[in-house]
Amino acid sequence: MNILVCIKQVPDMESRFKVAASGTWFEESDLAWRINEYDEFAIEQAVQLKTEVSGADLTVLSIGPARVKEALKKALAMGCDRAVNLVDEAAHEKDSFQIASAIAAFAKEKNFDLIFTGMQSQDRGSGQVGVLVAEMLGIPALTTAVEFAYADNSVTVRRELEGGLRAAIKASTPALVSCQLGLNTPRYPTLPNIMKAKRKEMLEIPVADLLKEEARLTTLSLAYPEKKGSAQILEGDVADLVDQVIGILKEKTAVL
Amino acid sequence: MELTREIYWNVGHSVMIPMYLLVTAAFSVLVWGLRKRLATYRLGQALERCDRRNERLSGVLRDIFLQARVLRVKGAGTAHGLFFFGFVLLTIGTTLVFVQADVLDPLFGLRFLTGNFYLFFSIVLDIAGLVAIIMLLGLAVRRYLLRPKDLPTVGDNALMLGLLLAILFTGFLLEGARMAATELGTDLSWWSPVGLFFAQPFAGLSEAAQRSIHSGLWWFHFALVLGFFCAIPFTRLRHLLLTPANIFFRDLGPTGKLTTLDLEDEEAESFGASKVSDLFWKDIFDADACTYCKRCQDRCPAWNTDKPLSPMKLINQIGEVSFSNPEANLIETITTDVLWSCTTCRACQEICPAAIEHVPKIIEMRRNLVLMEGEFPGEEVTKAMENSEVNGNPLGMAPATRADWAEELRAEGIKIADLAAGETAEILYFVGCYASFDKRNQKIAKSFIKLCSAAGVTVGILGKEEKCCGEPMRKLGNEYLYQMLAAENIEQIQASGVKRIVSACPHCFNTLSKDYVDLGLELPVEHANSFLAKLLQSGQLKLKQAPIDCTYHDSCYLGRHNDLYEAPRQLLKAAGAYLHEMEKSRQESFCCSAGGGRILAEEKIGERMNQKRAKMAAETGAPILVSSCPFCMSMFEDGIKGADLDEQLKPLDLLEVLAERIG
Amino acid sequence: MKALLVGEYREGKLLETTYELIGFAQQLKAEFELFLVASEDQLPQVEAKLYLADVNEAKEYNPALHKQLILEAAEKAGADTIVFIHSSNGWDLAPRVALALSAAQISEVVEIKEDGYLLPACNAKLRRTVKAATGKQVITLQAGAFMPAEQSGAPQVEKLSITATAQTEFLGYEQAEAGEVDLGKAEIIVSAGRGVGKPENVAMIEALAKALGGEYGASRPVVDAGWAPHDRQVGTTGQTVSPKLYVACGISGAIQHLAGMKKSEFVLAINTDKDAPIGEVADVLVVADIKQFAPALTAKLEG
Repeated sequence: MNILVCIKQVPDMESRFKVAASGTWFEESDLAWRINEYDEFAIEQAVQLKTEVSGADLTVLSIGPARVKEALKKALAMGCDRAVNLVDEAAHEKDSFQIASAIAAFAKEKNFDLIFTGMQSQDRGSGQVGVLVAEMLGIPALTTAVEFAYADNSVTVRRELEGGLRAAIKASTPALVSCQLGLNTPRYPTLPNIMKAKRKEMLEIPVADLLKEEARLTTLSLAYPEKKGSAQILEGDVADLVDQVIGILKEKTAVL
Repeated sequence: MELTREIYWNVGHSVMIPMYLLVTAAFSVLVWGLRKRLATYRLGQALERCDRRNERLSGVLRDIFLQARVLRVKGAGTAHGLFFFGFVLLTIGTTLVFVQADVLDPLFGLRFLTGNFYLFFSIVLDIAGLVAIIMLLGLAVRRYLLRPKDLPTVGDNALMLGLLLAILFTGFLLEGARMAATELGTDLSWWSPVGLFFAQPFAGLSEAAQRSIHSGLWWFHFALVLGFFCAIPFTRLRHLLLTPANIFFRDLGPTGKLTTLDLEDEEAESFGASKVSDLFWKDIFDADACTYCKRCQDRCPAWNTDKPLSPMKLINQIGEVSFSNPEANLIETITTDVLWSCTTCRACQEICPAAIEHVPKIIEMRRNLVLMEGEFPGEEVTKAMENSEVNGNPLGMAPATRADWAEELRAEGIKIADLAAGETAEILYFVGCYASFDKRNQKIAKSFIKLCSAAGVTVGILGKEEKCCGEPMRKLGNEYLYQMLAAENIEQIQASGVKRIVSACPHCFNTLSKDYVDLGLELPVEHANSFLAKLLQSGQLKLKQAPIDCTYHDSCYLGRHNDLYEAPRQLLKAAGAYLHEMEKSRQESFCCSAGGGRILAEEKIGERMNQKRAKMAAETGAPILVSSCPFCMSMFEDGIKGADLDEQLKPLDLLEVLAERIG
Repeated sequence: MKALLVGEYREGKLLETTYELIGFAQQLKAEFELFLVASEDQLPQVEAKLYLADVNEAKEYNPALHKQLILEAAEKAGADTIVFIHSSNGWDLAPRVALALSAAQISEVVEIKEDGYLLPACNAKLRRTVKAATGKQVITLQAGAFMPAEQSGAPQVEKLSITATAQTEFLGYEQAEAGEVDLGKAEIIVSAGRGVGKPENVAMIEALAKALGGEYGASRPVVDAGWAPHDRQVGTTGQTVSPKLYVACGISGAIQHLAGMKKSEFVLAINTDKDAPIGEVADVLVVADIKQFAPALTAKLEG
């Protein structure tokens, strides 16, 4: 069985973001990078599947500059067999359609039986890439998986819907599964596996070799919503405070 | 009348041949029994513990012959010490008899057990024997009638007490029978007062009866002594030989320093310990040297808050597995809940009369769990590990914000050099994660800077380039992450060109000063307390006294790990504090629960350690709980609230107290 | 602009979010028509054209079939903008439609800007304004971001015929097991700190959480004191949470707690001390005694 897991390296969401001079993305200095949280569940599921199915081969892929090799190394340490870096210094300028096109172009001739992706990325959060790759390859996409099972060339997935509801769906391979948080418990790599990972294959392909498409989305600007760190302080009579708070919740949040 | 006695009276010199044959046989059994154990010690990994012999021997002298460690605990410790001294005197006496009767007299006709020396010899041995009997009876009463909680009593204990008491009693009876026949009514008899007492029952008998009773007792007494020798390797009497040996083989420090694993070792198939053979030979030897005195268990903060860890049981389990089933999985036997419960506070090791090293064994097994299995005490810990990998701190805070606290001081005009940006200063202040990111603990960092500034010391920090020192990760067994973080810190420190490091966090201090040495950092590292105490002494730092009623909590990594008990108290005194000491203070201090990486873990089992400690502090009646550790501060902030003591007790760091009193 | 709004229907019910789509289209002042896979007795009350696929034939959510039907409706409507809710089905379906239409997809819109649409980025720490570079566009709306339209009128229904197609097989719905509370996914969390005073007052916080439609949590000292169970603990030694609204009730803000909830999008804190560290991460800090404030707010929300 041939498995692909696609991961993205994202800044830690706690990082202190600074809008870059271009005004459309953030500066990369002072950022701490990590594997997109959703993708960690994808890696774990792929590794679990690999150990269940004999003779499975697991490739992990990531698009981006040299720093994404750190993310790939961790995926290798978690149990992937080989890594592919689609080298792209300007990956952040690509839209979901372009990223999906590059992955689909890479996957096209490789006959992957299963492709795992995260449900979305933490930085962009558009949740498109997985479904787009599946559509481009003409295979079913099973999204938002919180449970996964594989047997006899078919996958069964429980999708997480709203309000605690789940939907069980089934498809035959080849297929793509996008993983929601909580699908499994991503493993912490053991030291021998970290050591082994250093000797595993890391393939580099310039993204231009695979990507011929233009972007379909234009980013106009990136900005801070409001300044954190200085809370608006409300004082006074409790009844007034209650009214003020309800007003603020209605205005600033979508919960009421 | 001649002031001496006839040796081999009644039994005659002819017993020498059978006696020595039997003694040789008994010693052979003893040696054979111990040699059999040697094979098991050899299951462990090699470790050099025979270097610095003079230091090792002087330790044996102090801790065995002077019973220094044993006597630290009143009651049972005192009884053991006195019994030991009596027993040693009797052994010396017996040796003197042997030297005279079997060596000097037959060969050279030389006798020294005569005259005034004999009188002295006689009375000292009598009293020694009496003291030994009283102490043994006292210990028997403690064990069998008072029954201290959780004292492990097995058949061995009855055998040991019974055998020793029987030897001493038969010795006195023997003396009594001899005296009844030879000394009764002489002045000489007063020099054997206990013997005289035991002679009374025999007084009315005929000499023939006295002689036959004596002869029977002699052989019985002798048989008991032979039995005693034979029993040593097979019972808890082992400790007679193995505990002194273990003191000789003890860890000579630095206190609490862990072995640094070679992670690049291509040959290594496994890391940490899951089997006996993964441990050092000394770890197995430790198990054999244990006296089951339970002092470690009595002090263990985990045991005292209803967690499954007893340091004594853990050591005993290692012994059982080593000798009965050495291939078994140690971690499964001991269980992970036990291993994760340890706060590495060292209370067990500090008090152990046999110099057993409990903590390193726990760490070795944790290393195996983490490095080989990827297992942690909970998901929150895994998350903290990942946060540390990505952000350089277990809290997952943005590294770019690490030195934000310093900006507030800089805005006030206080200079803090950014060493990572090429500025210079006399000392590098290694801030640590909690004082960097936690608003409460930032006050400690600010206080330290203000104190240094008042003393005219220029201070620099690594700013956002500083990483977690790696201590909690290392103590939780994650040697890999520790070495990664340490390497990054060392690189930054070395690049800064700084010559001296000071930290106000005992965990950072202990790690930088002891553990980083193995990774190439060789700069002097001090804790803020001793650093400031020196500035105070030299007059550079001036404090004005303002009264404050407080109690002081000795943090484990300052006290037991670094013997820094006086500096904080001197500083408190200089600040005008009136100190209400807790019952458990200094070496006996009770852990706040944050050590051993437990600060990152949820305390799922038993009573909350931090609340228990907060209650102890409140019992002193002092309204302020002073400590010298950001981890302790975090624990007490929660513990005081959790124990519902927030109305009466407030935690403060020593540095905060001092900073309010800058003169 | 001509929009096709893709409403949602599940297990016999029209989902309320459908009115948010209409609200969005109205705010955009766009011409719009609707698409629904539903049953005829559950149609939205709106004065607009509605392309309806009968759920009895189409069955539950089937992306391949829905895509085919939407494309048909979009063509009939002459729509250049297809709008979905950014929901589990919305984000599953939107990219399929976008690719088929060679359209750009704009995900999780929270606001309409003059020159484009505003989206959250990096856990809502940043906001990104984007626009489509293509003639057609597919948009998904963050649930709750747009005011629902008023419910009035009746749609003009055009039924779509169904040609079976499927890549996946639907096996059924199930309710997630109610095990330990997973605060990690809760959208609203109201947490009790020591400021609530006594164990019985945790119920006050629970009531407020219920009134807000969220879960209740607790700080470590509250859990330590046994006032709330372990699975409610928010913080580094409990659960790390990132809700849309976090209400910190009588929590001063120890670092372990802050590190566990600082990813929340909006933080409302109620504390008697206005200098409490919780102010560092709070958007609004109400200086009040939680024991008075919480019941008052609950009453107002319920009333």
